[in-house]
Amino acid sequence: MEISSLFKKEVVSESGKLTAKQRRFAYTSLAPILLYMGLFTLFPILWAVVMSFFSYTPIRQGSWFLGLGGQNPFVGIDNYIELFTGTGKPAEVFRLAVKNTFLFTALVLPLNLVITLPLAVLLESIGERFKTLFRAIYFLPTISSSVALVIIWSYMYAPGWGLLSMMFKAIGLVPPKSWLQDPNTVYFGVPLAMLCVVVAHVWQDFGYNLVIFVAALQSIPKTLREAARVDGASIWQEFWLIVVPLLRRTVLLTSVLTVISSLQVFVIFQLLTRGGPKNQTQTMLLSIYENAFKFANNLGLSAAMSMILFIIILILTVTQFRILRTEWEY
Amino acid sequence: MKKLFFVLVMASLLIAACSGGSTSATQAPAGGEKIEIRVWGHQAPAFNEANQKMFDDFMAANPNVTIKYETFPWDVFIQTIQTSLPAGNTADVILIPGGYTCRYASGGQLLEVPADVMTLDAAKGIFYDAPLGGQTCDGKMYGFPAEYNIEYGGAYVNPALFEAAGVAYPPTWENWDAVVADAKKMTTLGSDGVMTVAGLHYTNSDQLFTYFLAGILEQGSEYFAEDGRHFNFNSPEAIATIQKLMDMAQKDGVVDPIIFNAESEWVGDSFAQGHNAIGVLGSWYAGDAKIGYPDLTFDYVSLPPMMGSEHKFVSVGGWGYVVGKSTQHPDLAWKLVSFLGADQANVLFFNSKSATIPAMKSVATDAKYVEAVPFAAAVLPILDAGGYQGNLTDPDQLAYEIVYPTILDAIQGNLTAEEAANSINEAANAMVDAAQ
Repeated sequence: MEISSLFKKEVVSESGKLTAKQRRFAYTSLAPILLYMGLFTLFPILWAVVMSFFSYTPIRQGSWFLGLGGQNPFVGIDNYIELFTGTGKPAEVFRLAVKNTFLFTALVLPLNLVITLPLAVLLESIGERFKTLFRAIYFLPTISSSVALVIIWSYMYAPGWGLLSMMFKAIGLVPPKSWLQDPNTVYFGVPLAMLCVVVAHVWQDFGYNLVIFVAALQSIPKTLREAARVDGASIWQEFWLIVVPLLRRTVLLTSVLTVISSLQVFVIFQLLTRGGPKNQTQTMLLSIYENAFKFANNLGLSAAMSMILFIIILILTVTQFRILRTEWEY
Repeated sequence: MKKLFFVLVMASLLIAACSGGSTSATQAPAGGEKIEIRVWGHQAPAFNEANQKMFDDFMAANPNVTIKYETFPWDVFIQTIQTSLPAGNTADVILIPGGYTCRYASGGQLLEVPADVMTLDAAKGIFYDAPLGGQTCDGKMYGFPAEYNIEYGGAYVNPALFEAAGVAYPPTWENWDAVVADAKKMTTLGSDGVMTVAGLHYTNSDQLFTYFLAGILEQGSEYFAEDGRHFNFNSPEAIATIQKLMDMAQKDGVVDPIIFNAESEWVGDSFAQGHNAIGVLGSWYAGDAKIGYPDLTFDYVSLPPMMGSEHKFVSVGGWGYVVGKSTQHPDLAWKLVSFLGADQANVLFFNSKSATIPAMKSVATDAKYVEAVPFAAAVLPILDAGGYQGNLTDPDQLAYEIVYPTILDAIQGNLTAEEAANSINEAANAMVDAAQ
């Protein structure tokens, strides 16, 4: 049977439902990807949920069923209680990591939007040839290797002989003794090391939002802006009263994406500060990784941390969608 | 009929896919048939080169054996053995890092060394206590130590910085005060007051952990509590050791712990760049330094005890050869492990080639070894003074999450020695309780 014949109008039943043949075809077509998703996406998620209720480490011998039970006993919600109220070092560090992760996200999100939105408007206002060039330049760090970028930034932040320190000295300022490892330098309650990571991350990440904003700006009908100008609106009024409201959906999208990605940043922390100094840049993902693979392989506790991170992301995303919900279309 | 045929074909494909690769592992080899022994190790050029030569020799002596040597980057290697060993899906032989053997042996994932290969009593006469302790668990031997990991008792010295400061070279320090006195002369500050050269860089994670434990032992105390599982990290000796580590930075000013620590100006790289005159680090770094910085002129010299009059320290053991319980060829695997870890000529070759400290006593005293690895001479006289660190519950967590950051915090001026000792003691014992 020709595949195209499946979609001919006459083979669709009058009620609009699929015929048996069409259903078979649909199931057969979807089976591989469903199998793949089930095995590599759904199962690991379920496995993490299950593990979070066990004191589980693969080093110990459990029962025949996925190593659960036996020396990896069921502990109910003990892992969660430990993370919220425990006095052990992993729990203590994790609670600090939650705070740091929120701080990082709270710094990255506004900084990212403040840079990307005006820059996108500027890019839109220049000639096509330069627009493409600058878009490519700004997007380059986003598609570059995080490891390579961290190496560049670690040279920038090197104490004494690093580029930033030398720039400070050149203009007569005294640079911090150590940009990334001084636990005692704090500005407005934010450790210097955290500020340094925020700057490096925003530099790497803002190209992504920039491209989204440029695309959104291009989709705003010119007639709206032209009408505003005819009505005597200044460029500033045009931006605030026409462009920004129409970009609300895009702001929502970029905010959600930025928050989710900020909550899950790993490489830059792992390579630039490794959570130091004094755990001032320890994030949830670093804690999950360290407890799962670096220390005693406490996968149960790590799984519980993952679940908490998942719930935080879920709540923040739903909240953001509700706050920035819009009915407008253009 | 067509449907039945289709179902049969699909079923057979599925079965074939699910059982892929298992045939060779489960079938017993017939006489004269090629047997493949898989060996896992981490990616380290000197180790890999030395091992490959020995594998070639073994295969030449056993023509029916093929050795497949698979190496992984450190992180991948650790994660691979963590997941594969419990799943029973590992190589036949694993070159495992120090401190890991007992963790897996107690979970039943490693084979005990058969008595006809070597008994523990015999091994005690052949190997030093520390590396053998790393391959022993509950009085049973699970592997052969390949090297003696020692982070204690030696330091890298930069002759150019000694000469520039007018300090006698090579140094012959009679006690720790003499080390600090020389270090003070070589410490340099820039015009902005920022330290550019640390006279003595000891604020690395491994070194603070090693010297913290050694300091307690050198004063005749113990870091384990009476039950042998919990810790006694707030003893007067522990507090005195932390105070000593603090004083060298805060009073003597031989290192700025904000700039020089494990994350910033790591001791090895810092030394190679001329940023510290005396770098306290294990002898293992000498091989890396020679490859990474071929123009660097340096020596590795002995350090006196820091807290007492006699050397006393503990070690994580060192790399060792073990056999996974899932091996289909245990006899052959142990034959290979014996070849690698018990044959004196091979051990001499491995330690010389990889520039590691020998776990085998007879190799450490062999003139050929000292000739091949001259910088090892700094620590060879103290190897008998070392012991295995014991069951630290989670050595990595204890060293890198509890002891190092707390002592560094104290050295940076944020805690007193008593506060640091109490904090370490509380966190370390909470770790033990959580594990129980």
